[in-house]
Amino acid sequence: MAVAELTTAGGALAAPRRRRTRAAASRIAGGLAVLITILLLSSFITYSLGALSNSNPAATILGQDAATPAAVAHLDHVLGLDKPLPVQYGNWLSQAVRGNLGVSYFTQIPVSQSIAQRLPVDLSIAIGAIILAVLIGGTAGTVAAVRRGGWADRGVTLACSAVSTLPAFVVGIILVVAFAVGAHVLPANGYTGPSAGIGPWLAHILLPSLALALPVAADVARQLRTSLVSVLEQNYITGARVRGLPYRRILIRHALRNAAGPALTILGNDFPLMLAGAVAAEAVFSLPGLGQLLLESAQTRDIPVVQGVLLVVSTFVIVINLLVNTALGLLYRSADGVGV
Amino acid sequence: MTGKPPRDEVLGLEDLHVTVHDGAATAVRGVSLSVAAGEIVGLVGESGSGKTLTCRAALGVLPPGCAVGHGTISFERQDVTDLSRRGWERLHGTGMGAVFQDPASYLNPNLTVGSQLAEVLRVKQRLPRREARRRGIDLLAAVGLHRPDWVFHQVPGELSGGMLQRVMIAIAISCEPRLLIADEATTALDVTIQAEIIELLRDLRDQRGLAVLFVSHDLAVIRELCDRVIVFYAGEIVESGPVGEIIERPRHPYTQALLRVASVGDFRRRELQVIPGQPPQVGADITGCRFAGRCPAAIEACRSGPVSLAPLSHAHQARCVRATDPALTAVPVTTAATTAAAEAAELAAR
Amino acid sequence: MTRVTRRTPGSSVLRLPSARIAVAILAVIVFLAIFGSTLAPQSPLAIDAGALYRGPSPHHLLGTDYLGRDVLSRLMAGTRLSVLTAFEAVGIGLVIGAPLGVATVFLGRWFDFSANRVADALMTLPSIFFAVAVTAALGNGLVQAMLPVGILLAPVFFRVSRAATLEFSRAQYVEAAELLGGSKLHVIRVHVLRKVLPTIAVTTATAAAGALLAVSFLTFLGIGVQPPTPTWGGVLSSDLDYLNLAPWAPFIPGALIAITVGALNALADAYRDRAGAGELHSPVTDPVIKTHSTLQALEAADDRQTAA
Repeated sequence: MAVAELTTAGGALAAPRRRRTRAAASRIAGGLAVLITILLLSSFITYSLGALSNSNPAATILGQDAATPAAVAHLDHVLGLDKPLPVQYGNWLSQAVRGNLGVSYFTQIPVSQSIAQRLPVDLSIAIGAIILAVLIGGTAGTVAAVRRGGWADRGVTLACSAVSTLPAFVVGIILVVAFAVGAHVLPANGYTGPSAGIGPWLAHILLPSLALALPVAADVARQLRTSLVSVLEQNYITGARVRGLPYRRILIRHALRNAAGPALTILGNDFPLMLAGAVAAEAVFSLPGLGQLLLESAQTRDIPVVQGVLLVVSTFVIVINLLVNTALGLLYRSADGVGV
Repeated sequence: MTGKPPRDEVLGLEDLHVTVHDGAATAVRGVSLSVAAGEIVGLVGESGSGKTLTCRAALGVLPPGCAVGHGTISFERQDVTDLSRRGWERLHGTGMGAVFQDPASYLNPNLTVGSQLAEVLRVKQRLPRREARRRGIDLLAAVGLHRPDWVFHQVPGELSGGMLQRVMIAIAISCEPRLLIADEATTALDVTIQAEIIELLRDLRDQRGLAVLFVSHDLAVIRELCDRVIVFYAGEIVESGPVGEIIERPRHPYTQALLRVASVGDFRRRELQVIPGQPPQVGADITGCRFAGRCPAAIEACRSGPVSLAPLSHAHQARCVRATDPALTAVPVTTAATTAAAEAAELAAR
Repeated sequence: MTRVTRRTPGSSVLRLPSARIAVAILAVIVFLAIFGSTLAPQSPLAIDAGALYRGPSPHHLLGTDYLGRDVLSRLMAGTRLSVLTAFEAVGIGLVIGAPLGVATVFLGRWFDFSANRVADALMTLPSIFFAVAVTAALGNGLVQAMLPVGILLAPVFFRVSRAATLEFSRAQYVEAAELLGGSKLHVIRVHVLRKVLPTIAVTTATAAAGALLAVSFLTFLGIGVQPPTPTWGGVLSSDLDYLNLAPWAPFIPGALIAITVGALNALADAYRDRAGAGELHSPVTDPVIKTHSTLQALEAADDRQTAA
């Protein structure tokens, strides 16, 4: 809605609109440049971590019997492991950009293939969790701020501190016990893709998403309450009231829009936490996701898989950061860039 | 007020009391005033004298913790004292508009001023998007903004204080209200801009027959603009009357002191003239005249009992026991002896 | 006045009931970390095939697990490893992050810029994934696994101590001290550090909570420990496999983790509340007639405050 407002406002007069688009584009490009640098840095850390390990992949692959020094050296050469680290990293990265993350040492399955297989699981529960966190946290925070000091406010505050103390995996367990073991309403484990039907798919991702969403929703609610309370005290709210705008409109277009910024930032900052929660959720709900892939490959020291998963996860975090920054840039045009 | 209110009364306050701190103290006590169509009424007084609370009460947007304790507020003879939120929503914008001291803070910093102006037109007048934008740009031109189509697309942070005050006025009059409440609307502006805004308000009154309640602490501005002036002191009206009469023949010692302090007199000397002492605390229990503690002309009768707002002529009233005393206007405001006496009296009053 | 500004928030923090409860809980946890395995009523490894999934009873105060092992003893014995590795991570983060954060303010813009970018990069790495990856590279052990958790806590310490130093290094009294001839290092040590330490203390408590959570989480995933070794997360995860038989079981280790993490967070909150109180003051925007009356009112208010 906000974006639509901005663009239509400049509709008749092209000049301000173009100026604004250009400003937004340069901000996004700047953010992108920084984030790509960060991605390169973190991927290098990830890569060198694997390379620096004292594991000997060639020996591992060949097995104890066949691991003669000559065979190991040959395989190292084939895998490119005899080259200096920056060269190895460069080769790996140039392949990774093209979608080739290497081949598992053990299964010989391409890493990108096994990641692509697992990704929908985490994508489903992560997106579900973000939606739930925004819905639950947004509603709770708004209600608490509007009814400040009332029983609803106190209830929300209490629930938030209770939930944020609990780690995601404990929340998950509570949910399993309550809904799956206790009430038999929802499946306790397993995953079916959306191709098998939207209903079963939603049923399988609802509990894991909720487990991930609740701690984040608590953070969002708490932040939204704080910033909404301070926005509602601003003069421009009184100004909007004196103009005779309906209360609901003031609350949504003027107050919530401006107060959402810090909450959105929190949501972005909590995203890595959410990914960690996803690993827990995979364990609790027995979902075949990226976290399980990482755990398996870590146990077998399957370095290409570990590197690939880490790269994908870091990219995820960076994309979310970029999205949050873009949204903030589009929402807020005041000098300080924040709504409050 | 004396007699019957004029027939075309727009805003009427009758014995208005406003309590603050959740009813713990009364900051506005017994204010009655009326503003007729096409009339500009000035409210003057020190900060904390209750002018702003009176405006807020009249606008139905009292800050949290404040409430109308007693008395009535009427708009075009309809009692609006206990109006519902919905009722106020209908009245605001179409019935009454308001402008405040710091226009930048009364506009959403993240939305263009144009979208905020068009929003009012679309919500209150049900204009379609395109029409609202056209009307909005016209309004910006009407309040004297150059390049209104450029201004339309700016956020408040990109405009100057004077421009923003014009925008605020444009928003306030966008739905053609009958009453405009301007609370310190010119205070934070440069003198030249201030004069332009005053000119604009006068034009609006002349062209649209707008009733204006104009609050200021600056008697010079009030004299420029207003037809009638009401002097506030410590939550009460102490004097009211036609602006010429108040400036020429002030009868209340506080008004006299204000005039000496204000830029009405010699501009260079105004900072040097001070009113000794300080106004009573909000909620202070004072039996007699609330100004007696600082008044150079205070006598026994001032403190013995409540002083009522007494008519002096057809439209002139003053809340002073010595209002008709011909010697009063001759009393000097500041002498060392009276300052000391006033302070002693104030201590005794506590 | 001087006494008021010198009092550190730490001294008054214990007046808050929430802080007192938190400190009491943490004291018990530290006690368990030191003496837990010695004081455990039974051997945490002793298997009792005759008493599986027992609820709390006088003999097993917190019940038994799927092998009939005493849950209370396992949790008590598991405290030390969890607490020590959490300390390890916090220590690494503190030692790397905080000094760099203070120093970067004084080391020039180029250093500051690149240090911040590195911090940004590290913060994008989800620590759990990183921890798992490190066990793949450096061997499966909790000490190795908590190494990256500590390194990824460093940017947090770096940021807060940098922000706090930046804020205070621009304060006028620091400038004044420098003008009066105090050497830069002396000014940093005496003036800035005293102000920055409370901020770091709050961050340490929050980071400890996070690290403890990470430990429980890693042990829950089975990273870094071999099966019979008791850990908080391990107890939780083994309970999970038998949810149908004993649905109440995971709540005992879960509650233990939650209470400890909650106590650390509560302590940080209390400390922050105390340190933050009195720092807010709103500017006066009300229009005033420029008379002595208003000035006197302000002065009188000031006097009253000083008297009180």
